[in-house]
Amino acid sequence: MKDAMTIESSTATTLRDNVDVAEALGRSYAAGFVTDIEMTGLPPGLDEGTVRAISAVKREPEWMTEWRLEAFRHWQTMPKPDWAKLNIDPIDYQAISYYAAPKKQPKSLDDVDPALLETYEKLGIPLHERAALAGVAVDAVFDSVSVGTTFRKQLADAGVLFCSMSEAIREYPEIVRKYLGSVVPTGDNFFAALNSAVFSDGSFVFIPKGVRCPMELSTYFRINAQNTGQFERTLIIAEEGSHVSYLEGCTAPKRDENQLHAAVVELVALEGAKIKYSTVQNWYPGDENGVGGIYNFVTKRGDCRGDDSKICWTQVETGSAITWKYPSVILRGDRSVGEFYSVALTHHFQQADTGTKMIHLGKHTKSKIVSKGISAGKSSNSYRGLVKMEKGAEGARNYTQCDSLLIGKQCGAHTFPYMEVKNPTAIVEHEATTSKISDDQMFYCRARGIPEEDAVSMIVDGFCKQVFRELPMEFAVEAKKLLEVSLEGAVG
Amino acid sequence: MSEPALLPLVASLVDAPLPVSGIAWLDAMRRDNHEIFVAGGLPLARVEAWKYTALRGLARRPFVDGDEAALTRAVDPSALALPGVDGARLVFVNGAFRADLSALDALPAGLTLQPLSQALHADPDPLRFVLSRRHYEADEAFTQINAAHARDGAVLRVADGVKIDAPLHLVFLGAPAEGDLAWHLRNVIELGEGATLTLVEHHLASGEQAHLSTVVGDIELREGAHLHHTVLQQAASGASLIRRTSLRLHARAHATLHLAELGGALVRHDLRAELIGDGAQLETRGVFMPHGRQHVDTQLAIRHQALNTASSSTWRGVASDRARGVFRGAIVVAPGADGSDANLSNKNLLLSGSAEIDTKPELEIYADEVKAAHGATVGQLDERSLFYLRSRGIPLAEARALLTAAFCRAVLDDLPNEALREHLSSLLIDQLPA
Repeated sequence: MKDAMTIESSTATTLRDNVDVAEALGRSYAAGFVTDIEMTGLPPGLDEGTVRAISAVKREPEWMTEWRLEAFRHWQTMPKPDWAKLNIDPIDYQAISYYAAPKKQPKSLDDVDPALLETYEKLGIPLHERAALAGVAVDAVFDSVSVGTTFRKQLADAGVLFCSMSEAIREYPEIVRKYLGSVVPTGDNFFAALNSAVFSDGSFVFIPKGVRCPMELSTYFRINAQNTGQFERTLIIAEEGSHVSYLEGCTAPKRDENQLHAAVVELVALEGAKIKYSTVQNWYPGDENGVGGIYNFVTKRGDCRGDDSKICWTQVETGSAITWKYPSVILRGDRSVGEFYSVALTHHFQQADTGTKMIHLGKHTKSKIVSKGISAGKSSNSYRGLVKMEKGAEGARNYTQCDSLLIGKQCGAHTFPYMEVKNPTAIVEHEATTSKISDDQMFYCRARGIPEEDAVSMIVDGFCKQVFRELPMEFAVEAKKLLEVSLEGAVG
Repeated sequence: MSEPALLPLVASLVDAPLPVSGIAWLDAMRRDNHEIFVAGGLPLARVEAWKYTALRGLARRPFVDGDEAALTRAVDPSALALPGVDGARLVFVNGAFRADLSALDALPAGLTLQPLSQALHADPDPLRFVLSRRHYEADEAFTQINAAHARDGAVLRVADGVKIDAPLHLVFLGAPAEGDLAWHLRNVIELGEGATLTLVEHHLASGEQAHLSTVVGDIELREGAHLHHTVLQQAASGASLIRRTSLRLHARAHATLHLAELGGALVRHDLRAELIGDGAQLETRGVFMPHGRQHVDTQLAIRHQALNTASSSTWRGVASDRARGVFRGAIVVAPGADGSDANLSNKNLLLSGSAEIDTKPELEIYADEVKAAHGATVGQLDERSLFYLRSRGIPLAEARALLTAAFCRAVLDDLPNEALREHLSSLLIDQLPA
């Protein structure tokens, strides 16, 4: 095994967390509670009227309505994708409500429904003073409308625009119009088209030229109302020489019905800009019998439009019943860099088909892919990636490493890497291994008095270290805990 | 996914009369596969297994079904010989068996080697199981065509415990004809328990013509059987050659394959191996060197289905000029196949700005007591190795040729037949870009 597996390096951190593991053993999905507030929204169903209604509720300009309608018309002509290694029960798109919102439209944090704030409290989102203490600006999306945004002023002083998508469409239409759909076109794929037609809200970030964003930006998404697909749309633009780190984290209340989540995230990095996008995804994965859980069908793509730009995706995927997600980077500018670090853990009946695409167009572009898949229970976990070196990708370089760890006899771990090379000076390397936690490793830990569950979580932690290192600190802590909780009962 | 108006290739296949054998089950199988093909057509778009190989160009060309003059085509028998291959020989010219060119006298005891047409005539029943399949998958169009239209092929059996020393030689030759022909061959090979065989499969041409041929082969290795199989593919530069080889390895069977894909314009090989018995072992070593406008696509799929099975695959690709090399190496470890050990390496050199390499190593693992690894690279010759050679006075062109040859030769290193190994090696060197 790789150095990531060295047990010594992970011992210290894991022992500290033994308490958490013991605590976690007895508990089920921690974030599985339902906020009891009245919802208003559109009745289930989807047609042009629905799209117009969403646009009208959000008081969007005419061009936006047209943009949505165009996407909707295109979506109707598209076949549902079936290429992923996933078993998906047919989704009835007419049975979903495409817009749900808290009844009271809050104007400031003080107006926010106390029940909502309590929800965030339980999830540990740093709003109010907690936000100030944690030093994080939060744009929390509760179902479909942003309820509170903090740190606006501090960010505004730096010239950073950080607000909800609906607000951005109203206040910065020229920027939105220029960039929205420029990375993920409306007709890009089935779920992206659906999102373009009905997206409810999301985050908008604009970092002007030369600005280093003074804090890490964070959004907590939360699916709440039953039968409400949440379709967020995130757009991050980093102008020349700017720098931003963005955190996305998710939990969802426990539900028995599958809920659809089809988000689109677009990143644009201009010359010399750097964007780091980190995700911890912990939506409800369904119970141990595979009932319920979120369908997470996401299109995430970054465009290194300028020379010397860099986009880095880091993700820790432990939740959702089905994950279908390929954060990608188009390396257009010369010497631009794309990175993808991923830990995907599946347990019980979870299915994940995730990976990345690195499309090298510019000269001397570089990409690095590190993917760690962990399968337990009866789950299925696939890495699917594409590395493409186009003709102009002179001297481009890619390195890919995909490792899978199997825990148990009934799970599956798969690797489907595509490599397409059209430039003779480009170098593409791919390595993959699949293994289980070896008896030797377990014996070593057990002989030192470490209980089986802790030993497994230690070894898994070591296996993932390469990726955790790339996460912002508070996320890394959360990610570790998530893995431990998610692996409960995987051994024995 | 057939087109509204039938493409010439499809039209010619739809119209071509099916061979009639008078054997009810065989004719029924041909009719059924023909109907499946007519309903499904060619995999022209959006079929994953054909993602990198476009069939539109091929489908637009008309072909004449079979060669009526195949038995009288002039062929120089000496051109068929390969160094180190001195056993019995079975020769097909433009899809037809040529007794005059074959060497089937004095076959060793326990060896059956005859054309399929004769085997069916003598006793069809032993072939019934393997020739009764219906192929329903969308990516199996050529297997359907082959099943419906193949008139001949090689039938090879080695009895239990028999060891055949001299390498057997199967020759598939394309000869010039009045028009572009299409023919189809079906091979059935079986090694009995503990049998041992060395087999050389040679595809070659006696002239330049753009024929289309399909070759479908089943190779069954019973318990403890050993097979050394070498495939040398030197089809005509305009030829389209579409092959499918299926191997089944029973307990403790061991197969070693060496493949060199050198010729052809459009070459596709589906190589599927199932390790169905405990302790079965498979090694595949292959090299493809497309140049000019060649398109060479190898689809290797290995399925571990039993305990303690092992597979190891080493593949090298070198693409130059405007050529395209495609490789897929899929390894599946089925549930319960504990103790499997699988590894695959595919390294490629891309020598021209207009060439392309598409490679896709896959792992699908459903068992946990498993070691599985794969690696793939696409790149160019190592600058440091080049520098080393040049610093010792070797000119750049020569240094490149030397390193490229060494890169390809890695797949031949463990070929035990020395004369054949040297011959293949010199063919590889000849094929290197100047």
